[in-house]
Amino acid sequence: MSLFRAEGLVKRFGGLLATDHVELAVEAGEIHALIGPNGAGKSTLVNLISGLLPADAGRIVLDGVELTRLAPHQRSRHGLARCFQITSVFRNDSVRDNLMLAVQAHAGSSFRCLARRDAEQALQQRAEALARRTGLAEVLERNAGTLPHGVQKRLDVALALASRPKLLLLDEPMAGMGPEDSVQMVALIRSLASEAGILLIEHDMDAVFELADRISVLVYGRVLTSGDAAHVKGHPEVQAVYLGTEAGA
Amino acid sequence: MQDGAQHAASSAPDGAPVGVRARFPGLARRLPWLVLALLAAFPLIAPAFGLEYYVGFVRRVLIVAIAATSLNFILGYGGMAALGHAGFIGVGAYTVVALVEAGHSSAWLAWGGAAAVAGLAAAAIGAVSLRTRGVYFIMITLAFAQMLYYLAVSLRTYGGDDGYGLYTPLEMGAGLDGVHPQVFYWVVLAIAALVFALFSRVAHSRYGHALRGIRDNETRMVALGYPVYGLKLAGFVVAGAVAGLAGGLLASHNAFVSPSLMHWTQSALLLVMVMLGGAGRRWGAPLGVALWLTLEEVLKLHTDYWHWPLGLLLLLVVFHAPQGVAALFERRAGREAAR
Ligand SMILES: Nc1ncnc2c1ncn2[C@@H]1O[C@H](COP(=O)(O)OP(=O)(O)O)[C@@H](O)[C@H]1O
Ligand SMILES: [Mg+2]
Repeated sequence: MSLFRAEGLVKRFGGLLATDHVELAVEAGEIHALIGPNGAGKSTLVNLISGLLPADAGRIVLDGVELTRLAPHQRSRHGLARCFQITSVFRNDSVRDNLMLAVQAHAGSSFRCLARRDAEQALQQRAEALARRTGLAEVLERNAGTLPHGVQKRLDVALALASRPKLLLLDEPMAGMGPEDSVQMVALIRSLASEAGILLIEHDMDAVFELADRISVLVYGRVLTSGDAAHVKGHPEVQAVYLGTEAGA
Repeated sequence: MQDGAQHAASSAPDGAPVGVRARFPGLARRLPWLVLALLAAFPLIAPAFGLEYYVGFVRRVLIVAIAATSLNFILGYGGMAALGHAGFIGVGAYTVVALVEAGHSSAWLAWGGAAAVAGLAAAAIGAVSLRTRGVYFIMITLAFAQMLYYLAVSLRTYGGDDGYGLYTPLEMGAGLDGVHPQVFYWVVLAIAALVFALFSRVAHSRYGHALRGIRDNETRMVALGYPVYGLKLAGFVVAGAVAGLAGGLLASHNAFVSPSLMHWTQSALLLVMVMLGGAGRRWGAPLGVALWLTLEEVLKLHTDYWHWPLGLLLLLVVFHAPQGVAALFERRAGREAAR
């Protein structure tokens, strides 16, 4: 049985069918890449899975637990985490405070209101460990909003990792990054696969072919085809719809 | 050194003025105690300067500051722009009226009841309002407060439009009554200090950090697994209860309660005072209240057109210190320390 399954997911925006009966599975330890042209409905799919948008139809099951009717924060408790295409961090806080906030969410109650949070050594240690693992240890005390784009993207991923998720949804983690940052991100994503299934949305084809165990192609909200890199590269419709335009551009 | 002080001054928007801390280590820590001591001594030294009248005035400032501190908690830390906070002050005040009308005379029962009933009202109103965002939230909290206002107007037993006079002061017991004419002042001061200290402490707790996270990036907080709705509702209920407590104290202070307490302009005024002082800053609420009410008092002595200079002051603050007076103070202190 798969770690994660989405079955018959549908989402309409008015007359637009943004998600068209999508079936998708991610195995434990697998990096499943989702590619497709802009506007294909990739981010919408991530929003449906993470619960930020309600689905019109379909089911979502993670590790045997049906998440379909759960609120997004409850899905997070069941092992789902995501990062955002448009970097979403706490810009006015230090990297340390960002990580503390992420770690705190899954380590005891956040209704505790008298004890000083920063005095909790266990939280500090977990935040620092997370920083080391994601290459943020040197910028712990910097304000997140002042960091270069690539570092902010890494922080975004680090925030998602804090909950030790079973399934990680990465929405274009390398978008707008320089080559150096990309290399670092590829290494980070590869290191994560041992502990979580990953659904990776990415436009950088080199990164996708390097990382993905399986690739699905989304076009007009529909999964066009799914398979390994060779299969996708050789698929005539995919070449026409997606890779063809990339190569021509 | 220079960089350090600048950075420090800008990096703790909610704490005590960090620049002051850099320049006079210990002063920032002692400042609250200094203020408290001065306020405690005020009723004793006021007669020597012919300022007896102002003991009552300071007492009112303290009570309004309690309400403003609770509003600052949800507005400044929680990002909830509630435009109906005076509604909870009114619920507190009318709870005292209802208890007195029913024959009770204990101050602690009345004030405690004021907080409890206002907290319940905040739970009901918040449960609905917090499902909305932005302008809708502002409008719906305003609408609920107006409903409470008209409810009070329609309560003939409690005087309706004319209000309700509390002719005998509530009894505080424990040998407090009649010891000194200003006992009530010190009780108010103690409550205000306690409320201020508690909220200051909560700001640095897990809950306080979570609340600010919601203010800064709610979507991310949801994705991180925070029960955002529950966290906001808890803050809203506590703030409502504390505003109700302030309402109960205000009823005793004025020995009179009327619906005008919860008119929407009172809610707006409370918002203005918090923003003037500095929303989301530790000293924002008391500073804003003290500044606004003092200026109002002084200007009223000299002119009937006191609204104009106050409006002008507000414009000045909006353009020169959009973060509030507390922020201006912190920044200046930081610059001086860097010199
Ligand atoms: N909240 C929304 N309301 C209306 N239309 C939307 C919304 N979000 C996305 N869409 C539309 O749905 C389609 C898919 O968008 P999106 O999921 O962002 O695509 P992708 O991430 O693949 O580029 C687009 O046509 C987009 O305009
Ligand atoms: Mg997208």
